[in-house]
Amino acid sequence: MAVEYSNVKQGLSVAGGHSGIIISIFSTSSGNGKTITAINLAAFLAKEGYEVCLMDLDLQFGDVCDYLKLTPKYTLAEAQKDFESDPEEFNAKNYLTQYTHEDLSFSVMAPPKSIDDAYRIDVSAVEKIIEQLAGFDFIILDLQAVFSSLNLAMLDISAIINYVGIIDFLPSVKNFKVGYDTLIRFEYESNKIRLIENRSNSQKLIRGEDVERLIGERFSHKLPNDFQSVNKSVNAGVPLMFAAPNSPLTKSFEELADSYLQPQENSSTHIEAAEEQPNRSILSKFMGMLGW
Amino acid sequence: MVESDRVMLNTLSGALKTSKDFELLSTYRDFKSALGQSSIYNPNLFLVDIDDAEAFKTLPGFVEVFPNAVILGTLSEWNADFAYKAQKCGITGCIIKPFTPQDIVETINLYNKRGKSEPSRIITFFSPKGRAGRTTLAALLALDLAKKSNESVALIDADLQFGDLPIFFDLEPKHTVIDAAHDIKLLTPSAFAPYFHEVTKNLYLLSSPDRPEYAELVEAQQLVDVVRMAGHIFRYLLIDLPSGFNPISLAVSDFANINFTVAMINTGLEVAHMKRTLDLFKARRGHMHIDYPIFTRVNPCTEEQKQKLENQIAHHITEIFPNEYNLVSIANSGRILYGLPQDTLMMKTISKLADEIIAGKL
Ligand SMILES: Nc1ncnc2c1ncn2[C@@H]1O[C@H](COP(=O)(O)OP(=O)(O)OP(=O)(O)O)[C@@H](O)[C@H]1O
Ligand SMILES: [Mg+2]
Repeated sequence: MAVEYSNVKQGLSVAGGHSGIIISIFSTSSGNGKTITAINLAAFLAKEGYEVCLMDLDLQFGDVCDYLKLTPKYTLAEAQKDFESDPEEFNAKNYLTQYTHEDLSFSVMAPPKSIDDAYRIDVSAVEKIIEQLAGFDFIILDLQAVFSSLNLAMLDISAIINYVGIIDFLPSVKNFKVGYDTLIRFEYESNKIRLIENRSNSQKLIRGEDVERLIGERFSHKLPNDFQSVNKSVNAGVPLMFAAPNSPLTKSFEELADSYLQPQENSSTHIEAAEEQPNRSILSKFMGMLGW
Repeated sequence: MVESDRVMLNTLSGALKTSKDFELLSTYRDFKSALGQSSIYNPNLFLVDIDDAEAFKTLPGFVEVFPNAVILGTLSEWNADFAYKAQKCGITGCIIKPFTPQDIVETINLYNKRGKSEPSRIITFFSPKGRAGRTTLAALLALDLAKKSNESVALIDADLQFGDLPIFFDLEPKHTVIDAAHDIKLLTPSAFAPYFHEVTKNLYLLSSPDRPEYAELVEAQQLVDVVRMAGHIFRYLLIDLPSGFNPISLAVSDFANINFTVAMINTGLEVAHMKRTLDLFKARRGHMHIDYPIFTRVNPCTEEQKQKLENQIAHHITEIFPNEYNLVSIANSGRILYGLPQDTLMMKTISKLADEIIAGKL
């Protein structure tokens, strides 16, 4: 870390204060590294001294508690129930689970334990609960890979949408492109959307630059491939800074977290998109745009 | 022809009498006399009124006495329950009244391609989370079933937001499952069949749309209606579901004969997801045994490993698949039709699964 923690914090408060900043992690294919990213962002921001709350909004099969070996007493399900029965008395903080390792600590809102409860989670209740968590400096949202009403509501309230993709196979590229175009059609400002390429240096047939041309936007961050470190981290139930402090992936997450502590640049990352060619099979269309 | 409604009988028989393609041997108002008297003619086509549920008592008799005849149940409007019952009785299929001689020809062609006069086998592919190998499995199994059974096989991409099947088969089809869901109330089997794109011999695809927001336009019940009519048209119906529990994956898998529940081994935590999924399905289905767990990317892909996983989920595992990077990248990049390395454990396992399905073992 180039800057001392206190300086950063000072610098920020001068820049207008960090409070209730909502950062969401989204993708349109599963297994793209959303949860890994969410956890490690939360960890690095917490290490900087910020109050961080990580919400697992992958309601049915959320992985945050498994990846961190947490056994939450309360979850979003109880939070919603109590909020609905007595909104006056409700305090969202009572339903969080604290993750602590060595001197690192951040809060986690666990997803419902049963799938039935997950099914019953209501978007407006989640919004109200998040409103109550605005006292945290950062609220990190780990989402499910789908366009659902919950996800759209969460993307609406996010200051930054990290849109993660692993672009190894054609279907993933297609879903990455289709998902991005959909976000733009839904009128999320492209400034708010950060494209993140995960496992960027893994062996694959598709090049990142080609995907950038296809999308018409540059990746704002690239996470290197490090399967071993990720596995070590998940198996030990600790963020990468403990499981693999020297891994380039760990460094990369640290840089990503740091980028939120700098005033956000508005420089456009827009590039000329590859032209769509109608009336061709999907594959040749994508292949063509990918420069194959 | 058997038709209880006199006016309809006149309309239908009038059209048939003027046709060069058909010779109307006799008409009846009720089933009993038809079954008793038809044998003097040796007919090769029956058009029998099945608007009245009573018909289903007599239909098996027809099938038994005239095993080589085409028997079409005639319906005033599409009725999925009746159509299913009719095929369960062993008759060829259904046609909606009124119909022209040309409609009959088209309908018979449809059923000729279909294969055995039995209800379809509906096979759904569910996965708790994405990236499980679900679509790859569905596509490979569909190909193998089409090749081996010589009956018609349809793939429906019900992963409405992020369906990948069009990419697998390198297609940009004219009709999607969204169109089908919209139109389904107005469709008949022969009008619906052209919504499917013929991918290769015996294999047909109904694609997902190219924009995720179109998924919003479809109700689970509409998709169930699509599946039920498609089941009437095709002998095997394979459906790629959206990941996780949602109205569509639940409603459609309820109609399956076989629901493959697919998870990919990665961190190992997927095993817990599988267990939760099976528990939930068990609670939902009561005594119906339709859920078949499959793990993909199992390494080492051995019998011992399978047993280990079985112990962890406390459930029999139907199949485990190895990690087959080359094969999967071929399948995923639109080259699935141009030959896959057959001599791999993955393809052998697919082949075994297809054999078991055809033999009715699953
Ligand atoms: N940079 C990386 N290097 C190596 N492996 C990675 C990397 N990122 C993710 N993975 C692997 O991908 C798996 C999935 O990651 P993760 O659970 O974070 O994805 P996700 O997007 O949250 O998935 P889901 O949508 O299913 O919740 C991890 O278990 C890990 O094995
Ligand atoms: Mg996740």
